[in-house]
Amino acid sequence: MRLGVIDYGASNIHSVARALQSLGSKVSIVDTPDKFKSIDKLVFPGQGSMGSCVKKLNEMEMINPLLEAIKSKPFLGICLGLQILFNSSEESKEKGLGVIYGGITKIKDINNENLKIPHMGWNKVKIEKKHELFSGIKNKQFFYFVHSFVATETESTVTTTSYGEEFVSSLATENIFATQFHPEKSGEIGLKFLENFINWKI
Amino acid sequence: MSLAVRIIPCLDVRGGRVVKGINFKDIVDAGDPSEAAKRYDAEGADEICMLDIDASFEERSTTIETVKSIASQVFIPFTVGGGIKSLEDIEMLLKSGADKVSINTSAILNPDLIEEASKEYGAQCIVLAIDAKQDGKIWNVYTHGGKNRTDLDAIEWAKKGQDLGAGEILMTSMDKDGTKSGFDNNLYLELSNNLSIPVIASGGAGELSHLVDAVKLGKADALLAASIFHYEEISIKKVKQALRAEGFGVRL
Repeated sequence: MRLGVIDYGASNIHSVARALQSLGSKVSIVDTPDKFKSIDKLVFPGQGSMGSCVKKLNEMEMINPLLEAIKSKPFLGICLGLQILFNSSEESKEKGLGVIYGGITKIKDINNENLKIPHMGWNKVKIEKKHELFSGIKNKQFFYFVHSFVATETESTVTTTSYGEEFVSSLATENIFATQFHPEKSGEIGLKFLENFINWKI
Repeated sequence: MSLAVRIIPCLDVRGGRVVKGINFKDIVDAGDPSEAAKRYDAEGADEICMLDIDASFEERSTTIETVKSIASQVFIPFTVGGGIKSLEDIEMLLKSGADKVSINTSAILNPDLIEEASKEYGAQCIVLAIDAKQDGKIWNVYTHGGKNRTDLDAIEWAKKGQDLGAGEILMTSMDKDGTKSGFDNNLYLELSNNLSIPVIASGGAGELSHLVDAVKLGKADALLAASIFHYEEISIKKVKQALRAEGFGVRL
C-alpha cells in the first residue's frame, strides 16, 4: 500500500511524511496531477492560509485530481487540510473545496478569557462519536494544535475541543477523515492515530 | 479550558554534541542530541528545543544533520535556533524537520527578517529569542549569545517582535541562566502583561518550586530548561505533577 502526501509548496509535509514512514509506510509525495493515480491513500497536511493554498493548488492544476481522489480513496486532512474541505472561510475570499457543507470562522473568545490566538499547544480532544481512527485512544487525550480558524458546526463531527468556544477537532464522512490537530506532532497518541489511518479499511 | 503548560527541554548543541555552560560560559560536553531528544519525548516533553550555541561561527552542515536525526525520531514540536540569518536558513531548517525556528541576534540586526519570515512561513513557526540582563529597573537585550550589550529594552523589543509577526517570545534571563536560583519572575510577569503571544521562560530552573513559580508568579505559558532535565535532577513528570497540584493544566 502506498500513501500519498500532498505537497503544494507551503506546508511542512516533511514531518507528516516522517511520522508515516516511522510507522513502516511507503510514502510518495504528490506534487503533480499525474501522481494521484499511483497512490492508495491520501494525506493532505495543510499550513498557512486557505486562500494561498487554493490558489497554489489551482496553479498546479491539482484541484480536479484532488477532488477525484477525495471521492474514491481514504483521505486524511490535517489542519488546513480539514478547513479546505468546507465551502468557505472567513480567512480568505477563495472558496474551499466544498466537500463538507459549511464555513470556517475565526476562533471566538466567547467568555472573554483574553485568549492568545493562534490556539497553539496541547489541548484535550473529546470523543463525541465512535470512529475506527480513535480505536485504542482514550477520551480527552491531549493533541497538538496550531491554528486561528475553526469549524464549529457540521454533521460529521467525531471529536470536539474547547478553546474560546467549542469547535470541531475532527470530522469524518465515509472515506474522509480530517483533524484540526496535528497527529504527526502529538507524540505517542498521534502516532497511534496515524497507525489507525494506515490500517483503516473502508 | 486553557492550554496545557508546556515543558520544553532544551538541547544546547555545539558541533553535533549537547553542551551546557554556566552564565553563557564554561562549556562542558553532555551527550548525543538525538538520544537526549528521544529520552525527553518518552518522559513526556511537550516540545523539544535545540539551540546551536555558536552556529554563527561554524559550518551549518552538522546542525542540519542533527536536526534531521532528531526530527526522524521525535514526533512532538521541534524548535531550532542558533545562527539563523536569512529566509534561506529558515527554509533549510524547516525542510530538515524543524517545526519552528528561534531567531535572536539576526532579528535585532535585521528586524525585517521576523516580518518576512512570519509572512512566508506563518507566525506559528517564528520564535523571537531574547537574552536579557537586568540593569536597574529595566532589562537590556544582549546579542551574540550574550556577548554584546545593546540599548534595547527587552520588554519593548518583545512587543516590537510581536508586532513584526513573531508567534512566541523565548526570553532567557542572563542573570539567572545556569545559576539554579529560580526564574526571573518579575521579567516574565512584565512580559506576559505586555504581550498577547505566548511567553517561554528560560534560565534559572534549579528546583521544582522554581518551575511552578514561573507559571504562578511569572504567568509563563511554557518553561524551558536544559541542565535540570539533562542531568535528571528533576523529571519532566515531577514538574507536571507539581503544576497540576497547583491547579494548572498539564499533559500527563
